[in-house]
Amino acid sequence: MLEVRDLTVAFGGVKPLDGVTFRLDDAVCGLVGPNGAGKTTFFNCVSGFVRPSAGLIVADGTELLALTPHLRARWGLRRTFQQEQVIQALDAYDNVRVAADEFGASGHDVRDALAFVGLERVHRSGAALSMLERRLVEIARTVVGGPRVIMLDEPGAGLAEAETERLVALIREIPARYDAQVVLVDHDMELVASVCSTTAVLDFGRLIALGPTSEMLRDDTVRRAYLGTEEVLA
Amino acid sequence: MTTLTVAVRRRSAWRPAAGVLGVVALLVIVGFVVPAVFSVFWVRSFTTSAIYAIACAGVGLLYGRLGLVSLGQIALVGVGGWITLRLGYGTGLPYPILLLLAGAGTCVIGVMVGIPSLRLSGLNLAIVTLMFAGAFAIVFNATGFPNGGGGFLGRATGSVQRLALERPTLGRGDGGYFRYVLMVAALMFGLLALHVRSRPGRQWAAIRQSEAGALASGVDTTRSKLWALAVVSFTTGVAGGLLAANAGVLDPGNFGASESIVLFAVVLIGGAFSLLGGVLGGLLSQAFPSLLDEIGVNGNLILLVFGVGLVHAVSTAPQGIAGQLQGLAALVRRRVGALEDG
Amino acid sequence: MLKPFIVTGLAVGSLYALSGLGMLVLYRTTGVLNLAYGALGAMAALISWELIQQGTEQWPSYAVGVGAATAASLCYGGLLGPYLAERESVVKATASLGFALAILGVLNWYWTDDTRTLTLPTDTSGFDVVDVRVSTTQLIALALAVVVAVGTSVYLRASGTGTEMRALADDRELTSMLGVRVRRVEALAWGVSGALAGVSGLLLADLTQLTANSLTFLVIPALAACVVGRFRSLGWTLFGGLLVGVLEAVGTPYDWIADYRSAAPFVVAIVVVLYLQRHKTVTIGAAR
Repeated sequence: MLEVRDLTVAFGGVKPLDGVTFRLDDAVCGLVGPNGAGKTTFFNCVSGFVRPSAGLIVADGTELLALTPHLRARWGLRRTFQQEQVIQALDAYDNVRVAADEFGASGHDVRDALAFVGLERVHRSGAALSMLERRLVEIARTVVGGPRVIMLDEPGAGLAEAETERLVALIREIPARYDAQVVLVDHDMELVASVCSTTAVLDFGRLIALGPTSEMLRDDTVRRAYLGTEEVLA
Repeated sequence: MTTLTVAVRRRSAWRPAAGVLGVVALLVIVGFVVPAVFSVFWVRSFTTSAIYAIACAGVGLLYGRLGLVSLGQIALVGVGGWITLRLGYGTGLPYPILLLLAGAGTCVIGVMVGIPSLRLSGLNLAIVTLMFAGAFAIVFNATGFPNGGGGFLGRATGSVQRLALERPTLGRGDGGYFRYVLMVAALMFGLLALHVRSRPGRQWAAIRQSEAGALASGVDTTRSKLWALAVVSFTTGVAGGLLAANAGVLDPGNFGASESIVLFAVVLIGGAFSLLGGVLGGLLSQAFPSLLDEIGVNGNLILLVFGVGLVHAVSTAPQGIAGQLQGLAALVRRRVGALEDG
Repeated sequence: MLKPFIVTGLAVGSLYALSGLGMLVLYRTTGVLNLAYGALGAMAALISWELIQQGTEQWPSYAVGVGAATAASLCYGGLLGPYLAERESVVKATASLGFALAILGVLNWYWTDDTRTLTLPTDTSGFDVVDVRVSTTQLIALALAVVVAVGTSVYLRASGTGTEMRALADDRELTSMLGVRVRRVEALAWGVSGALAGVSGLLLADLTQLTANSLTFLVIPALAACVVGRFRSLGWTLFGGLLVGVLEAVGTPYDWIADYRSAAPFVVAIVVVLYLQRHKTVTIGAAR
């Protein structure tokens, strides 16, 4: 469960997030919106990298604002970044081990996570991994050691269609396998539609719609946000 | 989806042990062959090379593993030396204890300086450490190093006999002290290597890649960086202690901002990404000038060499000489492996 | 009486400020914090001294000295500037440190550690200001610092190349795409800062001492001036230099602090950097 109440981020006259309030209960949820809507700011806020000027963040019943980013991660609030952050100097195994060490997981859990994402070349150096393998390593890092809410920021970026499908299948399995909620941001509407049951839509830092994904994609308000106030084509 | 069994290739357990034995054997050989073959002048030169190698390894760890430019490490060597001298004269403690205390004291000072500074990124940190180097140099010049007198500063004035710190019983002569230094250096290098190969080292790699990514993986980046600084300060302080007993006295003129900058330069030239680079750095800063002296080249041209070397290392060869040597070794290993498989 | 020390402090401080301004303009235009600034000044001073010793007239000697510093600066900037353009600022600064070491090595090799003095012709005249004797040299130092601060500020805002420099500081790639001759603007920055370094070097050699080491490391108080200016403000850099100079000089008559007074620039820089960076945030990005 992930809930925000009146979440606001304001600086220098700009409000990337403006009084956002909603609650996500479904196993896999989506967060969409046009460019500049505030999705990344939302992720940064929830994961602790940006301090909100107002509002609350509650996950699984725990108030998160008091925790610094690394403590939120240890609690179970995991996230990936738009730009992949695989550690070049370490191999895939050690990449996941960094997280495992901090989250109290064992080497066995690391092997488990790598097997789950289907990464075979475990001792390949981070620098030598393909784009898909990097994304898989990042996901393995989020699921190891008791995740509760996993936020994925454009997990499919830079992947070919077949690779994206593999990723989607993987994401679908996370809640059952790890008992964790997944919230994902992506621009690929097909990806969002195929795996997220509920989707929240942001525009100009405000929540404009929240509901079952199929409805959201047909909603007029949402389409206008993406396409402008021109006449929406049927 | 079928679960894949991941075959985790078991790294041969005997490899690291063999490596350690190899290094120990090499050090023993060097420890006895060098004093036998070289003149006293050169044995002393190699001794200081080994001492400075410890300081170089520390600088290299901070830069190579964490991307932190520290231009003030010589000050920490001075602090270690200062503590050793003061306690050596003031108490009757055995030398190994003095070294440990010097390391511990330098560790405290290093961490105190680090706590406000480690928040700083790249250029700001470089500037602040350069400033600390300058400040410490002035303090050392003003207070001098302890030489047997009383009071906190331990300066002997007037006709009180100035003492030289005694060397440990195990290392009285030049050859003996060379072996002693090699042993302590090996221990310090071992301490650093242990860190790099285990959890702290992995945290540092994560931080170097991306501080945000490290935080998102649960790493307490501030504490991890401070720990690096603590370990490096400890080893650098011990190096200072070794330096104190090497000559028995220390000269403030050797602990200036210029020396700190040169230290950084030789580390980059020798290679900041491996401990071998530390050894090369030590040799470059101490033995190389002696070599040039022997063949009649003016000592000041060394600065020219280091300066050009630093520019080159910074712009083109971040792995340094050590990195290029290791690259060569890897190449040879691959070729040999191919031949064997072949 | 503190007054003579305040005057000395202001004079030397103006030169810290002048050096700081030169470093600042170069930094803002090219992203390079030129830590060889002091070494360039030492070069100018020693070359001028050498020429005078060999019988050349004073003013031509100074011109050659400053010219040498300018040329060296242009060479370095031209060779390494584009090469290091994409690297982060700490890498560029570290490279310039190598440049400083190289220059220092050559200077020390050619001019060994003897005592030398550089006496500018303006030393002999002076004025009495508030019953303290102020030499013309000291006045020139102060005036020059103020003129350069104001002049640079006006130039950057009002002139075409000045605007180009500001654009360059903002975004090199974008600026080049707009058709600005990036290399030419950068050359101007390197040349002017080199010339200023030379002039500062001459004045500092006159007011303090003429040794390669001390002049090279006077880049540190100049750096302190830049720090106070937050690497952004010309006015605050001027103030920072003067502040550091005065703090340093004012401790002279007091025994208990006299030995430590030259630590003033370092302490000021440390305190200011730590204070300004107290709210540091974590940037989200990956290492290159």
